[in-house]
Amino acid sequence: MSWWIGVAPLLLLLGGGLLIMLADAFAKERAELATTTTVTLALSGAISFYVLLVDPVLAPAPELVTRYLATDKLGAFFDVVICLGAALSTLLAGGYLREHGLERGEFYVLALFSAFGAMVLARAADMATLFIGLETMSLGVYAMIAFRRRSARAAEGAIKYFLLGSFAAAILLFGSALVYAGTGATSFVGIAAAMAGGEASTKLVLLGLLLVVVGLAFKVSAVPFHMWTPDAYEGAPTPATTFMSVAVKSAAFAVFVRLLMTSFGDPLSTSAAAGWPPVLAGLAAVTMVFGNLAALGQSSVKRMLAYSSIAHAGYVLVGLGAAARVPELGVSSVLFYLAAYTVSNALAFGALVYAGSKGKEAVSYADLAGLGRRHPGVGLAMAVGVLSLMGFPPTAGFFGKYYVFNAAVQAGGGWVWLAVLGVLSSAVGAYYYLRVVVLMFMREPAQGAPIAVPMKSGYVLVALVASAVFVMNLGLLPSTVLEMAVAAAQELVGA
Amino acid sequence: MSSSTLLFCVCAFFALAGAVGTVSARRPLRAAMALLAHIVALAGLYLTLHAQLLAAIQLLVYAGAIVVLFVFVIMLIGPASETSGSGRAGMVRMTSLVLMGMVTVTIAFAIVDTDPAAPRLPAGYGDVEGVGGALYTQGLVPFEIISITLLVAIIGAVAVARGKTAVEKQIEAKEKARAEVEARLGEGAAPAPAE
Repeated sequence: MSWWIGVAPLLLLLGGGLLIMLADAFAKERAELATTTTVTLALSGAISFYVLLVDPVLAPAPELVTRYLATDKLGAFFDVVICLGAALSTLLAGGYLREHGLERGEFYVLALFSAFGAMVLARAADMATLFIGLETMSLGVYAMIAFRRRSARAAEGAIKYFLLGSFAAAILLFGSALVYAGTGATSFVGIAAAMAGGEASTKLVLLGLLLVVVGLAFKVSAVPFHMWTPDAYEGAPTPATTFMSVAVKSAAFAVFVRLLMTSFGDPLSTSAAAGWPPVLAGLAAVTMVFGNLAALGQSSVKRMLAYSSIAHAGYVLVGLGAAARVPELGVSSVLFYLAAYTVSNALAFGALVYAGSKGKEAVSYADLAGLGRRHPGVGLAMAVGVLSLMGFPPTAGFFGKYYVFNAAVQAGGGWVWLAVLGVLSSAVGAYYYLRVVVLMFMREPAQGAPIAVPMKSGYVLVALVASAVFVMNLGLLPSTVLEMAVAAAQELVGA
Repeated sequence: MSSSTLLFCVCAFFALAGAVGTVSARRPLRAAMALLAHIVALAGLYLTLHAQLLAAIQLLVYAGAIVVLFVFVIMLIGPASETSGSGRAGMVRMTSLVLMGMVTVTIAFAIVDTDPAAPRLPAGYGDVEGVGGALYTQGLVPFEIISITLLVAIIGAVAVARGKTAVEKQIEAKEKARAEVEARLGEGAAPAPAE
């Protein structure tokens, strides 16, 4: 089979995005952009899913492409995760934007091209494509946060994310310049070759690596680079929040995995004295503890989910750090976790979208009181979503956490303690997740309190059903996706 | 001291001075002018690196377009509007200075023992032909992706800045009408207290 299939998802998104822009401009009536965008994203993900499932023998891609964009299984795996997250977000947008009077075609095009940027980032094999992909993804997201223009909250969140994001991008760029100065290469393979050949200036490279890690840690909102997260998540329209929390985070972790495993897998970079594992371990510990503790004190469910997404970044960092000792296990656990997290988070945010209607958006805990009794369907979706985020068996989140902490235990040494810390902090997390369930099913709203009225939208309903099916499927039958994750990890580590 | 070393020293001095001036000037117009000095000096530094095309583009795009845009914005807002006397305590400023010093020392420490052997440059490096060839042959893939980056930036700007859509106007009109009705009802029920 031709190598084109390796980059076909990217090309499909490009062509689809341009066509959707034309359709939006010329179709006077709304051209059902939500459907078109979702179908484009789903098709694009399906191509990569097919590649992962069938594993066809592909002709090697020309060096012109592979020097900048990897066409491997890791890229295909993240195509599926990113497209799935983006497709669920655009489905939610189809209901949300119409309900809240925000329906404008730009949102779908931005989401589509942001997903394109995320996929470029996940496939980046060179510092140049890393930066370009990161910027393409981020620029779209900044605009999506500011989409509700009449809201001061949205403007605040967007400008905070924009300024801090630009700053983080500058740090990342500075870091990659130092890496280039130290190795004379910008491609991940070239950096690895220079490190292995011993002609690299290790001081410069390690300093550059540190700055690159800071830049990427900002994008995955690891503590202490998380300051923007709660405000941006709260100010954005909920479908944009969903997109940010699943697609952006997955793509940033994808390039994290690829960069660290391809370029910095040598003994010096992974050493406990000077390398990246201790840095990641520290970040992971602080992120897990802080994210969970801060989520406890929130009164807004959206903010709670923002802090919970910070905590989840901490769990993924545990798996990523463990990959220094047990590469295959660590990488595959990170991949599986991100897939599980994507569907669980989309379900929780989707239920939050569905629970509110015009002028009565559900954002605070008080809004959810008694919701599960009045509207059992929404309550059930929300409950499954938060239970999966909590890591309750037999949902997707349980196996995600299990594989990540298992990788850490297998890595041994200090990683065991990190796994213990992770389990303890997820126990803290259970409190605020279960609080949602308790409120929905066991409380009645206070007298005179505003009551959230669920919206009526086929789009959101489809998104909820789809993500609930994926959550239960990953929880009950994780083997298919896990095998794909392991295959992708083997190809990355073996290379 | 060779002429290129001299050029480097002069440009480096002005680049640093311009950068410091940009962040420390209290008047926005002075900061913009310091930025201009920095950008021009940076173009000179590119020349010492045999990147003639990049130097020209630097002058055209940054000095010619972006700084002018900054100046326009400052003029629109009013050049007299000083930066608000930020309540930044001396502690914050000291901390950031100390941190900056630490980063500088670390980078200097890393650079000092780097082998300064200059790489061999291919013929035509840095001129229009060389850059064009590299961009359209080796770097074709990232070059094409950049076009999408720019497209996203344009759509994003439109999404944030475009006028109200018909739906939004409808909503605003409805809200206005409702507010008026409520105001009238409020008047009837409880007359406003006399001043």
